[in-house]
Amino acid sequence: MTRPIRQRLEVPVAGGDGERYSLRMGPQHPATHGVLRVDLELDGETIVECTPQVGYLHRGFEKLAETKTYAQGLILTDRLDYIAAMANNVGYCVAVERLLDIPVPMRAKYIRTIVAEMSRLCSHLLWLATHALDIGAMTVFLYCFREREVLLDLFEELCGARLTFSYPRIGGVRQDVTGSFIDELQRFIDIFPSRIAEYETLIDTNRIWLKRTVGIGKITGEEALDLGLTGACLRGSGVDYDIRKHQPYDAYDQVEFAVPLGSEGDVYARYRCRIEEMHQSIRIIQQCIDQLPPGPIVDPDAPDLVMPIKAQTTIQAGRSEYGTGLIRLLRDENIYITGDVYVATEVPKGELGFYFISDGNNRPYRMHIRSPSFIHIGALSQIARGELIADLIANIGSLDVVLGESDR
Amino acid sequence: MQIQYKPPRGLLATLFQAEIVQGMTLTLKRLFSKPITRQYPDEKPDIRTGFRGQHALVRDPETGDTKCIGCMRCAMSCPSRCIRIRSHKDKAPGSRRIIDCYRIEALRCVYCGYCEEVCPVNAVVLTEVFEYSSYDRPSLYFTKEQLLGNWDRFVAQLQVPVNEYVNPFWRPRGLPEGDLPAGKRMPVSPEWSGEQQVVGKKWRQQQSHLNTTAQEGS
Repeated sequence: MTRPIRQRLEVPVAGGDGERYSLRMGPQHPATHGVLRVDLELDGETIVECTPQVGYLHRGFEKLAETKTYAQGLILTDRLDYIAAMANNVGYCVAVERLLDIPVPMRAKYIRTIVAEMSRLCSHLLWLATHALDIGAMTVFLYCFREREVLLDLFEELCGARLTFSYPRIGGVRQDVTGSFIDELQRFIDIFPSRIAEYETLIDTNRIWLKRTVGIGKITGEEALDLGLTGACLRGSGVDYDIRKHQPYDAYDQVEFAVPLGSEGDVYARYRCRIEEMHQSIRIIQQCIDQLPPGPIVDPDAPDLVMPIKAQTTIQAGRSEYGTGLIRLLRDENIYITGDVYVATEVPKGELGFYFISDGNNRPYRMHIRSPSFIHIGALSQIARGELIADLIANIGSLDVVLGESDR
Repeated sequence: MQIQYKPPRGLLATLFQAEIVQGMTLTLKRLFSKPITRQYPDEKPDIRTGFRGQHALVRDPETGDTKCIGCMRCAMSCPSRCIRIRSHKDKAPGSRRIIDCYRIEALRCVYCGYCEEVCPVNAVVLTEVFEYSSYDRPSLYFTKEQLLGNWDRFVAQLQVPVNEYVNPFWRPRGLPEGDLPAGKRMPVSPEWSGEQQVVGKKWRQQQSHLNTTAQEGS
């Protein structure tokens, strides 16, 4: 793909004497959001070549999942994108349910939508905090963490963990929501729009912020599609693509929300898109709270945590249907349907896809994760080429990469 | 929905640096409000019920030993395979399995809580204790005695009586009682057991609307 930026380089750059030198940035650099290493070819302060190197956090989750049952595999997804673990959990469960053809009760769907959107708020808050800190706005960092703390407390109330939730389960969720949780969440979403207004007051029109973001890291919609960008990075360039809207899962088809779209495709447009997404998340959570139906939280046919056979048949021992799954297991028959499935969900970073191949066993034959961060890092060399080295920090921040997800 | 890109700025706002003044006013106001920072080692955080922390084996008040029956469900469901159980059975008829060794490697554990959720007799639990770091590894390879000691320490700082303590993972909130084995049907509040669920107000309105139309129809 040719870019006009390459031609811009022909012009001698101010400060550069035409002599190139290489610089290794990272993996310990604080602005690379973890362990990203970027190999830079520089001409003065202008980036000529930019090669991201990933793999410092590789833990082999795709291979590891082949040794774990579907229920056990859920805990691996906590450690993909660890700042929005709930969205990954939900994505994994949606994929397994579609593979094994397990229905989900309506109440569980609504609860999952609520927690996935809370997770999106968590992720966007942390993104805004660190992105602003990278660019030099310290106050926003502290203000964002104030709200994130409330959300983490809510998660702790719900499922007993603040970071690695493992909250949904295949065929539903593990714990029902309580009245006190809903009340606390309602109080939070009542107050949260005013808090977003505070962040906007601090940086939205700030001239330093505008100088660092407007016109930086420009990417057109076509280029973004070619590079495979998803999420706010794609929508900032004006491409209307949101899996929640176009291929709804869980309760997203029951709620109303808009997909914020930018047109400029620079760092500032991506920032505005994410801020608007926070407003939309609030809308979704409010509607889910209002429409929350009663009912069971786990499908009765969902597999048990410990046995790959149906939950009820294992527990209601002594009843007539006991043992159907167990006998099939002992006879070495296929427990589950065979086949493969690719299911994508919209996590805060973009499109998170799980590709499963089932050979009828109680573990996946193959699990592939299409992680948005990995693909976004791949786009970095295209975006950063021809720009200043200081803008690379803004670009890494605005792509919103999490290395745990990229290296998996 | 198209986002609002860069908001326009007037000449006066540019001259007087209005946006910087606004930002400074906001931070200045915050200066006089109550700080939200908690000084951690001096100030302990509020841990919610059901926090998944340090492991423990529940001490049975009748026998003084663990409640574990050696069914291996926890070891089987553990994703990180950090539970190791050795047990034997007496020759005498009707006797239950005797646990020789119950070890949990806390360093390998991922704190998912599957073990306490699948345990049919509520023998294993993740307590709300979260400060138990150590300078050596062997002290974190919990043995049965250490795990029972963990429970005793947890009970000592518990606010409610031991026999009234129910962990949310012993009896998952909202699961119907019929789906649970007998040991997990502990007495809990109606909201916990799923008899009284919190529902949305719009759903309630729709339901009452449906009821009235049904009555009018009949």
